[in-house]
Amino acid sequence: MTRFLDSLGHHVLFFLQLVRLTFKSQFRRQDLLMQIWTITNQSLPTIIMAGFFVGAVMTIQFTLQLQDFGALSYLGGLATSGTFREVGPLLIGFILCGKVGAFTASELGTMKITEQFDAILCMGSDPINEIVLPRFLGIIISSGFLLVGGLFASILGGMVLGAFYTNVSVEEYLRHIPRFLIGISILSGFLKSLVFSILLAVVCTYQGYHVTGGAKGVGRAVVKTAVISMVGIVTLDWLTSFSMEILIQIVKEAR
Amino acid sequence: MIHYLNHSLMGFLHIRRRFSQVIEQIYFIAVESSLIIFACVSFAAIVTVLESSFHMKLVIQGDSMVPGFSALLILRELGAIVTALLLTSRVGAGMASEVASQKVSEQIEALRLLGINPYEYIVAPRILASILGTILLVAIANVISLYTSMIVSSQALSIHPELFWQMMNRFVSFQDFAFSLVKAGVFGLIIPLTSCYYGFTSEQGASGVGRATTQSVVTASILIIISDFMLSAFFSNFY
Repeated sequence: MTRFLDSLGHHVLFFLQLVRLTFKSQFRRQDLLMQIWTITNQSLPTIIMAGFFVGAVMTIQFTLQLQDFGALSYLGGLATSGTFREVGPLLIGFILCGKVGAFTASELGTMKITEQFDAILCMGSDPINEIVLPRFLGIIISSGFLLVGGLFASILGGMVLGAFYTNVSVEEYLRHIPRFLIGISILSGFLKSLVFSILLAVVCTYQGYHVTGGAKGVGRAVVKTAVISMVGIVTLDWLTSFSMEILIQIVKEAR
Repeated sequence: MIHYLNHSLMGFLHIRRRFSQVIEQIYFIAVESSLIIFACVSFAAIVTVLESSFHMKLVIQGDSMVPGFSALLILRELGAIVTALLLTSRVGAGMASEVASQKVSEQIEALRLLGINPYEYIVAPRILASILGTILLVAIANVISLYTSMIVSSQALSIHPELFWQMMNRFVSFQDFAFSLVKAGVFGLIIPLTSCYYGFTSEQGASGVGRATTQSVVTASILIIISDFMLSAFFSNFY
């Protein structure tokens, strides 16, 4: 228990340090843009593929449930709303953990083990500012782009499956989407994804920066990153759902 | 790759020789990750109930159907896939980094020198253990998440637990539970196959181990999502 609290505290302190550096330091804009480009470019195909199949699975499940009520025309709206609010951010967060989180942790860990951070320190600049901060911000910003790509792929996947599996034509699939997909759903999906990406960025940079013990240590850091960030994502998913619910209640009562 | 598949699956012929390893791996896969997985699955169940009540209110202006729908979603999709994705990150990444660091430190060459087939020694017990462990975990996780969703719907939506089971029985049949266990078996086969493959083909050095682990997690999760889609499409013929 104390170990858990200890590591939680270390992560929070690391996060605060990164936030403080973001506002006061002059890291190179070039580095940040470079990171955003690499991360987006590397993960977009994976995310699009995952999104496509997530949309397809959601369509199959909703088809099975709606068939009994003869409400198949609502299929598009319900499947899309479910994906945007909940399943999309969650599964895309999982895939990002495996792809971006593990990659960043292993990259930073390798740098640490080959003493590149010490070399940067010797040259009189701060490795956190030079190396870690652009990656941290890059992950957060590019996860927004990746989420948009994944969600559009999921609509496409649902549409294709709806047309071929359920015999709901494309027009009918798309027609009910605006009715069910209200602004607050999109907002809550993006908020969730933002929270997940901040968590992921903190965990993977922290674990990568604090690697010890050779090649085995790098492997251990990658495993730790994946486990901590996935468990954190599921927990935060519940927390954000819960707080959104309460917020909506408060707003309704204020009106 | 075909060589790898062939040797790993042929290793099942001699699996009785590796019985103690299988037990050890089941302990690593199922017991050590059980707490994390059960916690995560019950959080996922809470979210499912809340979300389906949101959608129900949107469509039919009431949430009396929530128990049936959320139980169906949990049994058919969420229980198996959330468990499998969490296992990929914990067990799959662990196996990949373990096998890769064995490869980097030339322990696998040492096994070959001793006349032991490394695929049979390393991969086959892990596959058997992972299939059994995943099925066990998914079975328990399903039950736990059903109980969690019962508690949540009685607290948040004020649906009486008695009513919850009645509504659930009208929608859910034993088939759903059995199919989710079949899914779990397939996911349990995918995880060690991909992670040990990337471990065996990893390059030298610290960056090799990291890259093998990363690739194994990504590939296994994508394969799990794709096979989940295929299995869902296939099982939907039986409902």
